[in-house]
Amino acid sequence: MLLEAKGIIKAFGSFHAVDGADFGLEEHELVGLIGPNGAGKSTFFNCIAGDTVPTAGTIRFRGIDVTRLAPDRHARLGLARTFQVPIVFEGMTVGENVMVGAFLRHPQARRAVEKAAEMLEFTGLAAQARMPGTALGTAGRKRLGIARALATEPNLLLLDEALAGLTSGEMEAAIELLTRIHARGITLIVVEHIMEVIHRLAERVLVFHQGRVIAQGTPAEVTADEAVIEAYLGRRARGRRG
Amino acid sequence: MTRPARAALLVGAVLLVIAPVLAGNAFYQRIAALVVLAAISASAWNVIGGYAGQVSFGHAVYFGIGAYASLLAFTKLGLPPIAGAPLGILASFVLSVIMGLPTFRLRGHYFSMATIAIAELVELLVTNWRFAGGAIGLMGPATPRSVADLLFRSALPYYGLFLVVLAILLALTWWMERSRMGFYLRALGSGERAAESLGVPIRRYKLYALLISGAFTSVAGSLYAVMIGFVDPSSGFGILVSVNMVVMAALGGAGTLFGPLVGAIILVPLAEMTNAFLGGGGAGAAYVAYGVIIMLMARYSPGGLAQWAREIRALVSGRRRRAA
Repeated sequence: MLLEAKGIIKAFGSFHAVDGADFGLEEHELVGLIGPNGAGKSTFFNCIAGDTVPTAGTIRFRGIDVTRLAPDRHARLGLARTFQVPIVFEGMTVGENVMVGAFLRHPQARRAVEKAAEMLEFTGLAAQARMPGTALGTAGRKRLGIARALATEPNLLLLDEALAGLTSGEMEAAIELLTRIHARGITLIVVEHIMEVIHRLAERVLVFHQGRVIAQGTPAEVTADEAVIEAYLGRRARGRRG
Repeated sequence: MTRPARAALLVGAVLLVIAPVLAGNAFYQRIAALVVLAAISASAWNVIGGYAGQVSFGHAVYFGIGAYASLLAFTKLGLPPIAGAPLGILASFVLSVIMGLPTFRLRGHYFSMATIAIAELVELLVTNWRFAGGAIGLMGPATPRSVADLLFRSALPYYGLFLVVLAILLALTWWMERSRMGFYLRALGSGERAAESLGVPIRRYKLYALLISGAFTSVAGSLYAVMIGFVDPSSGFGILVSVNMVVMAALGGAGTLFGPLVGAIILVPLAEMTNAFLGGGGAGAAYVAYGVIIMLMARYSPGGLAQWAREIRALVSGRRRRAA
């Protein structure tokens, strides 16, 4: 198993944002993580990425206990992530932004330049390589975040709402990019609001609600699940259907 | 590096080497030496404050350590003052580790405030430390016992010595800028969370930057003590010493290779000349000008003159492209 999270609890005071979530992931999977706002997916995501230390529970990545390791150790082990609101390094070009990621496996600047160029080509940012990173729009910044993460040569890539805020054209291009990343043999966890995207991309979906995984299965299975419908639409909608 | 940039660098370097000889006037030669000395400490500050974006307002603590190390080596051990410089560097390493552990958890203004607190604390301790001269301070040798005392009537030898140290520091910074370390520092300076997620061990790299920055600032303090032959708590550890470094680096362009040097070339003569021409009553008038400069920069050009230069260059090349 590539990633295994057991009994994850994250409490803020008396509020449990994540309340006993279990999750396992095999190599080469593409898993979607969905749930209504405030369901705890982002907190859970941050626990896996090492950004937040869970109150209880353990997370193992490639057999190593990473629960308490800092995010940079996760990156070194092969776990990369993007951010919901992309953070672009100011004062750096698009290419230099990607080089920061490439330096992890290639300490020599010359090799890091080559690796960055490869990733820029792969993500379709090669033409913008010499532009300041901050000159990119939302779609470009999200792409840059992915290119930078890929430059660390991860086994597992966590994408936090990589498609939110994109136009439908940009979204098609992004779905195509994610498919190509998966085809490279990289395991993906995609946190997403948009059901349509999950339907088209994910082989398996986990539904979060009130800090717990309330359902999992293929996209078709979970959208038919009673508990999921209730979580998304509320009790009355279920009553009307029945 | 492009060909015009290389040519400009060469011309600049030659000018730096011959400028004080051309001046041929003791007053201007002294100012020239002070410019290079200020450029050393501002460039040293630039490593942690500019590239890594950790704005320290307490770098006087390193400057003071270097200055006191030199004059303590002379007064207590009878060594030439310059022999205290390595001791100052060692002390700066120890301080960086002690200072880095608690302050690197702090971000932005909180880090700046913590560094001010540390520098003020050390100034107070030294003021009450009788062994190190207390509030009166320490004196260097009055007459040279040997060449090693580096006591010269003319400012020219100091100028040469300072220039060598500045060249070493700038070469190191230049190398760093292009290497993994430079990228990591700039990345963690603009977004710690993102940098960490890409495998940058941020606290380790902040410590590297502080070690380099503190060591060279301490060397600047030692060189100051060697040339001036006197240091007291406020000229070594005072907050204005820290502010000087920050303002010079920021004016020229923090996080750029030559920014701090450019800032020093503008501000040191300004300070020295206002002191000379306004006399005792006008001493410190330069700090009024500093205040104005800080305000103008914060409003119009937070990236300093380097940002200005970039904008003008972009404008010119844009026009040229349109014309073509």
